[in-house]
Amino acid sequence: MVLKIFFPFCCSSAESGLLVGRWISEQNSAVILAVIHFPFIPGQVKQYLFKLQHMTQVNMTVLGSWTNSKQPKEESLERFLEDLGAIFSHDPWVQLSKEKDSKFWSCVATQKLSDSNEEDEIVLIYYDQRKVMLSQLHPPQWSIASNDQKTVDSSRLTVVFDTVAKSKLLFMRDQYDEGPIKLTHWQSEGVEASIIVELLKQASVPTCMLITFLLSLVSGICKSRALTIWPLSFIWSKLSTCQQLGHRLQHLQIISSSRKAPNQTQLMRKANIFLSILIDVALGILLMSWLYQKNRIGHLANDLVPMADHVAQQLQSLLQWLMGAPAGLKMNRALDQVLGRFFLYHIHLWISYIHLMSPFVEMILWYVGLSACLGLTVALSILSDIIALLTFHIYCFYVYGARLYCLKIYGLSSLWRLFRGKKWNVLRQRVDSCSYDLDQLYIGTLLFTILLFLLPTTALYYLVFTLVSLLFLGVWGGGKVGYNSGRGEFCIPPPFYFVLKKD
Amino acid sequence: WQKVLYKRQPFPDNYVDRSFLEKLRKNIHARKYQYWAVVFESGLVIQQLCSVCVFVVIWWYMDMGLLAPQWLFGAGLISSLIGYVIFDAVESGIGKSQSDQSQWADLKNAVVFLAFTYGFSPVLKTLTESISTDTIYAMSAVMLLGHLIFYDYGANAAIVSSTLSLNMAIFASVCLASRLPCSLHAFVMVTFAIQIFALWPMLQKKLKAQTPHCYMVITLLFAMSALMGLLTVSSVGTVLFALLLVSISCLCPYCLIRLQLFKDNIHGPWDEAEIKEDLSKFLM
Repeated sequence: MVLKIFFPFCCSSAESGLLVGRWISEQNSAVILAVIHFPFIPGQVKQYLFKLQHMTQVNMTVLGSWTNSKQPKEESLERFLEDLGAIFSHDPWVQLSKEKDSKFWSCVATQKLSDSNEEDEIVLIYYDQRKVMLSQLHPPQWSIASNDQKTVDSSRLTVVFDTVAKSKLLFMRDQYDEGPIKLTHWQSEGVEASIIVELLKQASVPTCMLITFLLSLVSGICKSRALTIWPLSFIWSKLSTCQQLGHRLQHLQIISSSRKAPNQTQLMRKANIFLSILIDVALGILLMSWLYQKNRIGHLANDLVPMADHVAQQLQSLLQWLMGAPAGLKMNRALDQVLGRFFLYHIHLWISYIHLMSPFVEMILWYVGLSACLGLTVALSILSDIIALLTFHIYCFYVYGARLYCLKIYGLSSLWRLFRGKKWNVLRQRVDSCSYDLDQLYIGTLLFTILLFLLPTTALYYLVFTLVSLLFLGVWGGGKVGYNSGRGEFCIPPPFYFVLKKD
Repeated sequence: WQKVLYKRQPFPDNYVDRSFLEKLRKNIHARKYQYWAVVFESGLVIQQLCSVCVFVVIWWYMDMGLLAPQWLFGAGLISSLIGYVIFDAVESGIGKSQSDQSQWADLKNAVVFLAFTYGFSPVLKTLTESISTDTIYAMSAVMLLGHLIFYDYGANAAIVSSTLSLNMAIFASVCLASRLPCSLHAFVMVTFAIQIFALWPMLQKKLKAQTPHCYMVITLLFAMSALMGLLTVSSVGTVLFALLLVSISCLCPYCLIRLQLFKDNIHGPWDEAEIKEDLSKFLM
């Protein structure tokens, strides 16, 4: 008859001791659940096992001995182990031993009562206790209860599963318990991690509550009336930093809410947000550590002001060119001069502002750099805001040019209708003919003529400043992409958690 | 015999009855023109041509510096006042009730004209500085031609648009005024353009409706003065312009009446239906 021994993986590195498990006599197999280490007092072991049997309803006994010898074999130990067989009378008495530097185990099953001396074949079956526990395959009680012959046949393994599952109580004890008996089983590995996890679980609830409270405080301040009156709310909506911080606040609120996620998708989402925030913050801290080395911020600040100066000079020369006769275009000289001087004065203002700011730039950058610890995205959005503020004059030029051009085009289109004796009928959304008075006609035509002859000048200014601002948009495309995606893409965290789980 | 195809009739297929074309009518709408009446009506075209001619001549005088703007402004003001008085007299002659309100409105309009023109005249002066003179001349010529084409000569046609024609004349005058040496010149020029292109035709129409003989005389005098003015600028141009005027006032009516004889317009039951009745009462 074949003797089957189910042996757990985790015990293969255990110290020598006794094999504890269940003997399933009808299948002639032994399911080993744990190893009890030396030294022990046999009486206590028996008592302990009896108690466990009572609680778990599993017929747990000492099945044999386990030797994991570091030294070469000793005769006395073998004798001792055989003697143990006498103390814990079990039939058959299994002796498993593993030697150092050897791949092979020796396995001996001694049967005392049987008369026959013939050796049984022994099959050693490794199983992973942890997986069996987690597989949830074990307790199909009802299938056994169905009294089907086939089920009984096929449920040979089920008994094994069932045994492992029922002896949960055995695994609850770990090696740090101050008991007379020391055991090795699947739970005894990685105990430290599980303790940390337990601690974290305990700590997470108050932490979440604290964070929720703080967040509600912050969002309450943000929503307060003083900060949402008209000009301020407009500024908030234009600054990408504020938007980024708003998204971050929302994410934190989602994570720290104490309510359980209703379904798998929500759980996934939460985990994703949590991981992305972690990664973000880690990248931000990396950036910070890079920035604050070797006085990099000082270099940056020193380069910034000359760069702004250079840009302003280029713009000034561009305006001088426009105020002449650019490309031989027929511009209106008076309007050209007026516009050119207006923009030159604007640049002058900007430059004096920058020079006024220059002593503080390094300090500002130093403090702004600290914000990187909130995350890389926050740092990027602040960078984009700074760039937007530094190139604000160019954007202003574009806005002036565009507004002027737009006004002119609107005026021309409506005066062109007047010129032809037509008007725009608002009620019917169409152009109707209309009889104007003489003075209306006269003034309209006068204005039409003036606007028509001034159109090339404004159109050129509009074109040039649109191109310049497009150029700047292109140069700072990265920052701007961050600025724009701060509204759209970045608020959806990348699915880090999903990827990790797949792996 | 019946003029139907759906009946079998005892005639060959190519049979044409005598009653086949009995409903044919010829030249129903043709009008018999009187030669002198047509010449009288052509006075409008003559007047408008002369207006453009006078305007261009005056502009030329101003551009050359031969005419002081103050003189022109004074003359324009006086002639406008006289014209206004005549206009009033003619209007009261037909018995329309004269109210102070319309005079106030006229005064207000005049003030608006003068103020706006005076305010914008420096702008007008520098408006086309950088544009070449030839472009300006070409643009003005096109605009004045457009003014003559779209002018309301009394014809009932789709092309006629008095608004457009007046606007084109003002545009041309602004273009030409911007070439003048100083802003006072530009102001006076644009004012003169308003007088000659907007106010003068109004007076003409009134005169033509009320006193045809007087209108005849005035047209002749105006044409003579335009020719005299052109003579001081260029003799060849005068001859050509005189020929043009004569051909329009004498030759063209003669041609029209002669060509009327060749008119051969047929009408019949095949014409498309014309709605004679005024349907607007049903539409209301």
